[in-house]
Amino acid sequence: MCRVVLNVRTIRMALFLTVAVMSLPISAQSEGGLLFEVGAEKKVTKNFSLGLDGEFRSRNNFKTADRWGIGVKADYKLTNWLKADAGYKLLYTNFHEDINYKSSGAYNTWRPSYWGTKHRIYASLSACYKLPNNVKLSLRERWQYTYRPETTVTRWDFDDEKWEDKMRGMYVHHQLRSRFQVEYDKKKARFTPFAGIELYNGWGVEKIRYNVGTDIRLDKQQSLSVFYRFQNICDSEDEDPNMHYLGFGYKFKF
Amino acid sequence: MKRTIQFMLMLVIVAGIFTSCEKDDTDFSAYTDKTSDDSSDGQDGTATSTNDTIFIVYNGTSVSVTGDANGYVNVKGADVTVNDPMSADQAADMVLVLSGSTTDGSLNVYRQKMFTIVLNGVSIHNNDGPAINNQCSKALHVVCADGTTNHLTDGTVYAIQTYDQKGTLFSEGQVYFSGEGTLYVTGNYKNAIASDDYITIDGTVAINAISTAGNGIKANDGVFINGGILNIDVTADAARGINCDSVTVITGGDITISTSGNCVYDTEEKDYSSAACIKSDGKFTMSGGTLNMISTGDGGKGINCDADIEFTGGTLVAKTTGDNNDAKPKAIKSETAIIVSGGSFSAKVEKSWACDNGTDSEDPLDHLTVKGTPTTCKIEKKSVVVKYE
Repeated sequence: MCRVVLNVRTIRMALFLTVAVMSLPISAQSEGGLLFEVGAEKKVTKNFSLGLDGEFRSRNNFKTADRWGIGVKADYKLTNWLKADAGYKLLYTNFHEDINYKSSGAYNTWRPSYWGTKHRIYASLSACYKLPNNVKLSLRERWQYTYRPETTVTRWDFDDEKWEDKMRGMYVHHQLRSRFQVEYDKKKARFTPFAGIELYNGWGVEKIRYNVGTDIRLDKQQSLSVFYRFQNICDSEDEDPNMHYLGFGYKFKF
Repeated sequence: MKRTIQFMLMLVIVAGIFTSCEKDDTDFSAYTDKTSDDSSDGQDGTATSTNDTIFIVYNGTSVSVTGDANGYVNVKGADVTVNDPMSADQAADMVLVLSGSTTDGSLNVYRQKMFTIVLNGVSIHNNDGPAINNQCSKALHVVCADGTTNHLTDGTVYAIQTYDQKGTLFSEGQVYFSGEGTLYVTGNYKNAIASDDYITIDGTVAINAISTAGNGIKANDGVFINGGILNIDVTADAARGINCDSVTVITGGDITISTSGNCVYDTEEKDYSSAACIKSDGKFTMSGGTLNMISTGDGGKGINCDADIEFTGGTLVAKTTGDNNDAKPKAIKSETAIIVSGGSFSAKVEKSWACDNGTDSEDPLDHLTVKGTPTTCKIEKKSVVVKYE
């Protein structure tokens, strides 16, 4: 009997993942990357908790380190269905190269990729609604502010045929991220499969993320997650490519 | 559960191994290491310190070569192959100076660093392939020597090869035309001039591209015309004077393009494909120079652009005289927008619309956008004249 239940559950989850993956758009100009996320959370009161997060990201078909990040956050449960959170992230980013062309099409300057820091603060409101069949719908609206400090970079001048220092000015960016997620959230279940879409809005839609994966409950305190993410760049100043991410996460609750 | 954790940890470790510190930057070492190349004394046996100028003189069915100190040149009859095996950061600057005449010869170049071909009064006809085939994906500078006239022609059938041969003058990399001489390129098999990268024309060079089988100029990544004289005449059905898969930018030069082919039915696209003086998949921009176009075939176009057409200066004259049996002849056609804000712009057709920006409107004023205050602005269905001078 137990085996039958497990098979039905497995088939249901496989179907869920298959349908979700098939609904994703395919892009020829894209790269693959990895995402690792680790998090620790401490419940301070019944409604209030603090957390510490770390992340690593790669690009260029898994060959180039793209970003390291560390962050702190605070969650407050306003009601059974509404949660507020806010946090700060320090991001150590490998900025893409930048090639500048003349109007004739010839090379003008080239700034190689370089490592630099970014600071990010955010605040969000999340609402969720659970259907009777254990399907949970959630909507998160997050405002985030990213600050990249001024820095000196080197670039190659093709006319002068020499390296030159160039000041890259500070940069601030406001975004509103809207995430809608569906998950199969059965109490005490080993797996919690999920699928979601997240829109990054600046002055228009700049980026869309599609996620599909599952959380795996190890015990009361620990959980893993495995997911696939397709990141579709709609409007980027840096001409970033679309990304296919394979993601792994680990979370520990004190 | 322990097994699950072990499996996940293994995945993480394997993934970590794959994520090395490899950079994804474009390899510009050929440029950035140039200074050290130039200062090298070359005593290590490499060619890094030399500037190789190789003179290749065609003489009927034979060739004489001088200056080939490194033995890169291989000659078979009048077919010349230059094979420089050095890596981009080790190869020396190279200049190939071509002169003389052959009725069945060619030049093939294999190399990993940009180089220059000087056309110093040369005439190359190749019966079974391109006259010049550059298999180097870096920049090729084609300089027409001052006061010289140069001819490149091909046959109607090419021998099958393992490498690309897309026209009489074909380059895998960018092509920069310059100089003060004259070049005639005739394509009888496919394109006259073709690049899998972009093509730039500068200075006062005069280029005549004629094709009886395909396009006058074909470029994958852009066409940039900043000067010179460019005459293109293509006669095949559905052929384009300039066929560009990316942006087309004209800032100067004196350009004349004519097409006489009719449209043909494309079974893959399930639509008619028309001849056009300029077919640009990316944005077309003109800010200077003169551009005269005439298309006489059925459904022929002056400019056929998948993106915006932006005309800010210079003189543009487009005329079609073709019929509209299978496709509609249009002088200026854009899928998105035609924006005129300067210079002198004239478009005329005998049938269909002079300007078509994708609108369904029957009002000619809706078929283009005129900015500013022109001194002449006459917009009719079959004739559009906008002048700011």
